[in-house]
Amino acid sequence: MSIAEKTKAMRSGVAIAGLLVAVSIAGGGVTTAAQAACDLQFKPEEGAELTMLRWKRFIQSEEDAFMKIVENFKNDCGVTINVQNESLDDVQPKASVAANVDQGPDMVWGLYSLPHLFPNKLVDVTDVADLLAEKYGPWVPSAVKYGKKAGTDEWIDIPIAYNGNYINYRKSALEKAGVDKVPATTDEFLEAARKMKEAGMPVGMALGHATGDGNAWVHWALWAHGGSLVDENDQVIINSPETKQAVEYVKELYGYMAPGVAAWNDSNNNKAFMSGEVGMTNNGASIYPAAKKDSPEIAEDMDHAAWPIGPVGKPTEFHIAYPMMIFTYSKYPNAAKGFIEYLFQPEQYDMWLQAAVAYLTPPLEKYESNSVFTDDPKLSVFADAARNTLTAGYEGSVGEKAASALAEFIVLDMFANAATGNMSVDDAIAQAERQAKRVYR
Amino acid sequence: MTETAVSKPAAPEDPGAYGRWRERRRVRKAEERSQSGMDYLMSTPRRVITVYIPLAIIVFVLLFPFYWMFITSIKPNEQLVDLDTVNPYWVVAPTLEHIFKLLFETPYLHWMWNTMMIALVATFLSIVASVLAAYAIVRLRYRGAQWIGGAIFLAYLVPPSILFIPLSLIVVKYGLWDTPWALILTYPTILIPFSTWLLMGYFKSIPFELEECALIDGASRWQILTKIVLPLAVPGLISAGIFAFTLCWNEFIYALTFVSSPEKKTVPVAIISEFVDGDIYRWGSLMAGALLGSVPVAIVYMFFVNYYVSAMTGAVKE
Amino acid sequence: MADAAIGTRAVPAEPTAWSRLKTNRHWLGAWFMMPAAAFLILFLAYPLGLGIWLSMTDARIGRDGIFVGLENFIWLADDPIFWLSVFNTLLYTGVASVFKFAIGLYLALLLNHHLPFKAFLRAMVLLPFIVPTVLSAIAFWWMYDPQFSIISWSLKELGWIDTNINFLGDPWNARWSVIFANIWRGVPFVAITLLAGLQTVPPSLYEAATIDGASRWQMFRYITYPMLTPIIAVVMTFSVLFTFTDFQLIWAITRGGPVNATHLMATLSYQRAILGGYLGEGAAISTAMIPFLLAAIMFSWFGLQRRKWQQGEADD
Repeated sequence: MSIAEKTKAMRSGVAIAGLLVAVSIAGGGVTTAAQAACDLQFKPEEGAELTMLRWKRFIQSEEDAFMKIVENFKNDCGVTINVQNESLDDVQPKASVAANVDQGPDMVWGLYSLPHLFPNKLVDVTDVADLLAEKYGPWVPSAVKYGKKAGTDEWIDIPIAYNGNYINYRKSALEKAGVDKVPATTDEFLEAARKMKEAGMPVGMALGHATGDGNAWVHWALWAHGGSLVDENDQVIINSPETKQAVEYVKELYGYMAPGVAAWNDSNNNKAFMSGEVGMTNNGASIYPAAKKDSPEIAEDMDHAAWPIGPVGKPTEFHIAYPMMIFTYSKYPNAAKGFIEYLFQPEQYDMWLQAAVAYLTPPLEKYESNSVFTDDPKLSVFADAARNTLTAGYEGSVGEKAASALAEFIVLDMFANAATGNMSVDDAIAQAERQAKRVYR
Repeated sequence: MTETAVSKPAAPEDPGAYGRWRERRRVRKAEERSQSGMDYLMSTPRRVITVYIPLAIIVFVLLFPFYWMFITSIKPNEQLVDLDTVNPYWVVAPTLEHIFKLLFETPYLHWMWNTMMIALVATFLSIVASVLAAYAIVRLRYRGAQWIGGAIFLAYLVPPSILFIPLSLIVVKYGLWDTPWALILTYPTILIPFSTWLLMGYFKSIPFELEECALIDGASRWQILTKIVLPLAVPGLISAGIFAFTLCWNEFIYALTFVSSPEKKTVPVAIISEFVDGDIYRWGSLMAGALLGSVPVAIVYMFFVNYYVSAMTGAVKE
Repeated sequence: MADAAIGTRAVPAEPTAWSRLKTNRHWLGAWFMMPAAAFLILFLAYPLGLGIWLSMTDARIGRDGIFVGLENFIWLADDPIFWLSVFNTLLYTGVASVFKFAIGLYLALLLNHHLPFKAFLRAMVLLPFIVPTVLSAIAFWWMYDPQFSIISWSLKELGWIDTNINFLGDPWNARWSVIFANIWRGVPFVAITLLAGLQTVPPSLYEAATIDGASRWQMFRYITYPMLTPIIAVVMTFSVLFTFTDFQLIWAITRGGPVNATHLMATLSYQRAILGGYLGEGAAISTAMIPFLLAAIMFSWFGLQRRKWQQGEADD
């Protein structure tokens, strides 16, 4: 037990007597006073200290709560975690470089199938996954798929939360356009978009390289029409009549959208929605809390809705998974595992979900009943995001290949190429097929 | 030959402050003469049309983004996305909130310090290496000097965007990962070729006879370099220095890749990661950071722009 | 420096090893070259070689590659996005360099007039060159915003356009927009450097020409331009190289979008290597830049004017 830990124990209000006992027997390796509160299966290594890279907050209160958990972990278990923030788009390159050079943060909290870009560099966390499933589980189906290394039963990451990405709309915009109900099918959606364009409050959804929002809606469009990049055996099947139908659908939809969406990244739609330039977009639950804070009248006017159902007749949602991974070069893998276990303790995890105001959705059944999804009816649609989401690669494996396909924006570019008229529909599909075959060779 | 004295170093027998002052005065005189050569037939209205108006337009375009950055950095958030209530060229109820946030709620000053130290040390190392190399190529003319000179020039072929993937592996191998040294030691690869080339031109403009006299008097090469050549080459050193400093201040890819801890970042990289919150860009603070981040270099240029101009002249003149 | 010849030159009587080291210029030359050579070999030549080797492997992030010969290049040769990026890079470099040269030269000629506050003006003009590129790129991104662009707003107020200009959402608009940003950033360097060149032109030449009744164009064509040629060669070589290998401006403004319309080779290489994880392919794209750069260098070296300074030859 280090001096620092002793001081910490003292600060956390442990009785002097207890401290003396703890100190006197610390040499024997018996659990110390400080670690008594640290009721974990995974015991952090002596003197462990961790660095974690996470995506930069979308919601301030979520980050505050997360940092609180980090602080609690430090107080209870004596492990300091140095948290670094990078914007969503930069997490992947940073993690990739770290994996490549075997140096960098111990843990990375990334998105989608990022861990599958370098599965061999990650600590096997099967034991953590099993423990969590036993305590709070079971895992939602997509979490199992995202967590396990392709074709094995080995977990290489823990998807600690999801970010539901749904339709955000202004009620007044729908009224103005004469749309009487929120579109429930792709056809109704197209019709609504046409009317909204005429009413001057168009739909706007990102067609630039927007990791979150862009991927979410183009995959919805593709899958809703029955298209898919690969089949369950990872054979490339993108060049199909269904895909063509989807691309033509998006092309028409693009005509009704706000100008400039082809250049939008994840931030543009927030700005445009808040300023009233667009009346409908797709986003996580980050516009709503921001509006509640800054412009209550917008918060009052807006609501969320599930994705319309396409010709396939079932929901085809694609939400962001946020997997936590531990690198093999870390000197303190147990402390890192311990943190994941700690994070999922009810007093931490429930508090965190509350603070994230439905921006995060839990991957474990126990937490799906958190009141954050029921207190405000406008947020209830986000409750099922983790359960409903399909995985990167759809029916194919979630592995290195799916991760590459997503990172190269193959599907997004296919739609953008065709929609903007940069290429014909057939050429755009053919190019996507060619790229996909390279990735899936 | 007053007209060729434009960038000639100060008279050798008097390299002190007085000599430099005289040199500057001569430069100014020569400039004025050359201008009168071009200008004296021009009438005022004609000057307005052919000189002032085009100049004003170009300067306006060059400076407008700075005005826009400035006005953005003091605008309250709601005015940033509302172009209709308030004329966007102006600001009502300006706020220092963004600047305050930048300076006191983020380690901005610390990043400035990092950037400054990295830039200064890298510049110093590069200038030392470049002086030695340039002197050797120009004056020692050892066997193969011309090829080495060509090779250094060709080093410009190799941009950071080609190198940064393999270099990241190498930086790790050398144990420099995530330390300021990763940048301090890699930046000279960008700086040395230019500085060497610039100094080569400058050294050539120093009369060879001076060195011959000193050699005959028994001075060593080292003494010649430090006592004779360098004092004469001060303007060249300054301009190579500020050029190198600017490049360091500007560098992005290496800084983005080789350093990952927030407290070790440089200004350009740090501002972007600090003020882009998920899907919200904090335009006010971004712009304030961009403006303030340019101040140190701007100050350097304000003072030394004349040296820069004269050294470029010296470098290409032969 | 392997070529530092030892004792091939007649040395004055019985020198000690040390005095020979101090005086033999080949040896001294080698010593003087050491620091620069160390930097350039360790951090430039070595990674360059490593990069070329990587381009012939199928290395992925986190996994060493095996040698695959030219497989990456064969794949790229058949990849429309790669060729699009080549086209973009050439367009970007070509258009931006021409404009940078033209505007820069014009600005230099203007600044060479007798003007009030000349030093101040010169410093002002240099500003775009001073601000870190990424930061000015973000300013441009903000000015090109699809909804809140000040440019669109102004033109709408003037009544010249009805709807916002789709600066970055349309492939060609996006290309011109980033090219403009690049020109904006590059003009000051060209202008100030050419201004330096202009000031070396002996005024007596103009005086003589004026007496002979030469027009202003003739003075420019037969005095200014020839006198400036060497510095033009230098400044344009730098300008072309910097533009060709640009990364940060594009990355900050468009990240290669929309639909790859503004991908340069450098950004595509980053996209494939770091984001996609294909280190080998990314390195291959980088390597593919080298012939283009060589061609540009050769053009400036031999085409514009063969200058001795480029090789460090004796000329005085």
